[in-house]
Amino acid sequence: MNSFKQPTLRINQADLMCKNGCGYFSNADWDGYCSKCHRSALEKERQKKLSSKPQKMSGFTKFEEKKRQQTDKKNKLIKTPVFRKTASGRDSFRSERQPEAIHNPEADRLTVEYLKTYVLPEQVNKDFFKKISYLYSMIVTEMDNNKPIEEVAELAQKYYINYSTRLNGHPLYADIDPNVRAEMLEFFEKFVMSSAYEYIFCPPTTNDEEKDLIIQNRIRKLSWVNAYHLDCCISETSMEVRELVYTAITDLIGLDSVKAPQEKLACVVRCCQSVVEILKSCQEGPVSADEFLPALIFVVLKANPARLKSNILYITRFCNDSRLMQGEPGYYFTNLCCAVSFIENLTAESLSMNSEQFTSYMSGDSNVISTWESALFACEGMHQLTQHLSLMKDLTERTATIKSRAEELREKMQSLKDEIKSKVATVIEKNPLELKPPNELQLKTPERTHPALREDEGEQASNFYTYNLQNLSVKIDQKSKFKLDLVADQKPVEGGSGNSLTLINYDIDVSDLSNESDLTPEKRDDRCLLDMKEESPEARLPPPLEPTAHYSGFAKQGYQIPSIPCNTGNKNSDTYKNTTNNGN
Amino acid sequence: MARDYDHLFKLLIIGDSGVGKSSLLLRFADNTFSGSYITTIGVDFKIRTVNLDGKRVKLQIWDTAGQERFRTITSTYYRGTHGVIVVYDVTNGESFANVKRWLHEIDQNCDVVNRVLVGNKNDEPERKVVLTEDASRFAETMGIQLFETSAKDNINVEEMFLSVTRLVLRSKQEMKERQQVTNTDTVNLRKSNKQTRKKCC
Repeated sequence: MNSFKQPTLRINQADLMCKNGCGYFSNADWDGYCSKCHRSALEKERQKKLSSKPQKMSGFTKFEEKKRQQTDKKNKLIKTPVFRKTASGRDSFRSERQPEAIHNPEADRLTVEYLKTYVLPEQVNKDFFKKISYLYSMIVTEMDNNKPIEEVAELAQKYYINYSTRLNGHPLYADIDPNVRAEMLEFFEKFVMSSAYEYIFCPPTTNDEEKDLIIQNRIRKLSWVNAYHLDCCISETSMEVRELVYTAITDLIGLDSVKAPQEKLACVVRCCQSVVEILKSCQEGPVSADEFLPALIFVVLKANPARLKSNILYITRFCNDSRLMQGEPGYYFTNLCCAVSFIENLTAESLSMNSEQFTSYMSGDSNVISTWESALFACEGMHQLTQHLSLMKDLTERTATIKSRAEELREKMQSLKDEIKSKVATVIEKNPLELKPPNELQLKTPERTHPALREDEGEQASNFYTYNLQNLSVKIDQKSKFKLDLVADQKPVEGGSGNSLTLINYDIDVSDLSNESDLTPEKRDDRCLLDMKEESPEARLPPPLEPTAHYSGFAKQGYQIPSIPCNTGNKNSDTYKNTTNNGN
Repeated sequence: MARDYDHLFKLLIIGDSGVGKSSLLLRFADNTFSGSYITTIGVDFKIRTVNLDGKRVKLQIWDTAGQERFRTITSTYYRGTHGVIVVYDVTNGESFANVKRWLHEIDQNCDVVNRVLVGNKNDEPERKVVLTEDASRFAETMGIQLFETSAKDNINVEEMFLSVTRLVLRSKQEMKERQQVTNTDTVNLRKSNKQTRKKCC
């Protein structure tokens, strides 16, 4: 047996010599070198480090280094008075000196909150704040001295117990209700931890931050894991469930935004309660841990909360241990720890899949869109679809309105047209065009002109014309053709001397107005002057356009028109046409 | 929080998935009887205060996930546990075979802890595959008490939980006598915590 074991136990002679082969014996402490070679090797390494450090630092380490330096600087700046105080004598630590009050916005806020919540004797408050400041300065000092965080945590835990015994035993607190006492203990913890948060959360003395990044990357790599892999019954496509999952995720992410351990725990509890709700809506019967844990893992994977590990470690270290081990917060926090540790140690086996598949998923070779994501996409799509549908509905409605309005307008237009038509018809009916027997010479002229005029002019004009025509025809009935001719020959200066003259005037007037003859105003002026002053043409100075003594007062054409029928008889229609043409 | 109890115990309920751990828990917590009251906080987190030998004992029972894949991580649950209830399914031979592993798990995570073995679903004799004799023999060799229960028909559930509580209470009193410590509750909690702390975390 001895001989069998010998080779493993015995050290080869060569192993004892210096690695450099200088012939001297080596030592394990000197990395297998002799003392001289070890020293030179160390020196070499140090120089190499010095020269290559700036280039070698990768992005993250650089950032980390910077952060560390900053915290150091900050700590020094803030903590100088505290530091000095404790430096004056670490022994005085235990002698319960009166520490200075904490100057910190967080602490100020909490002081106000405390004073608002609890109305307690001055003595009690004083003692309470004294203890708080004491623990606070102790933590800060210890952290300044780069004590391992575990020791500081142990210190804090001890102090919690101390204060708890003091609360329950000291005569100062005897009058206080036990419930309030319990609250005070909790507030004590909250106060100290929130105030010292910058020092004790993810402290530079630990590698918490690296752990955070590791787990964050891991969760990111595991983004393809879905409810099916975890064997949990979350139906990823249900709207209701999705809402609850979001609530749970929000609560879990909220873990990083609060400071006191109990506040962080409250976030965990809320998250877990949402998870229970999810399970309730996904399955029948009571929710058991068999379903709860996978669901929680799923939520943690989907949430990928920031600084998860730091938060968990912080709670584990600084939350009052008695709370962490019992009650609902303790239970749920334990489950969260389990979920995180499952994620950290997750293998192909624990997802019940073969290792090849697992590695290909992990390396990102097989890019699987998980159900969760596709559900998200689907839901997004559905959302857009519904949005578009509602938009379309709106548009359809608007189009319909436009259509109906257009129809209305058309109807209105139609009715207006009809109305106008009927009005025109009634007007025409009211004022029928009475035609004289064709043997009457005078009648023929207006009859022919009538349609043409009506088309050219508006309704009124035509009415007017019709009316005139009617009158004309009536008058014509009364007078003889020859008489009319005679009147036309007379001078119009005597205005109103004969009916027939007026009639003829009217006739001409219409055609003149319609044709906007240049001569019409002139003629009117003339008539006005003559009518008003009743002067003979001879008394006045002859105006440049004043017609000569034999001027009849008509336009040339007008003057000629009546005379044409007498001269040419039946050919008068042609003459009339000429007249209108001239006017144009 | 005024103390409305004399003792506060944390019990852990472990066993393969599907053996009825949650049903046992639910049956125990939802069944009210004189002299006790229940507080149901979460769905799978139950607290019940029972009167035992004139003492008010507050029990908080932690349900655990029993799947094989979670076996390695559930050690966190054992922290500060006073008693463990190991459950198997009498209609499922495999769950009984795994009991040994569960007991081993307990030994690894806790130093001294009170344990009981529970054969659940003992309501359909024709489906029963784990015989009472085998189970009791096994329990004897392991030095633990055996209960055959039915959460469905409410058989033996109350007795089982009360007996675990009694076990825990007794061991606590023994420890108290041994250590002669005045404030047992706090010290006990701290101590067990410290012990497990090194192991688990």
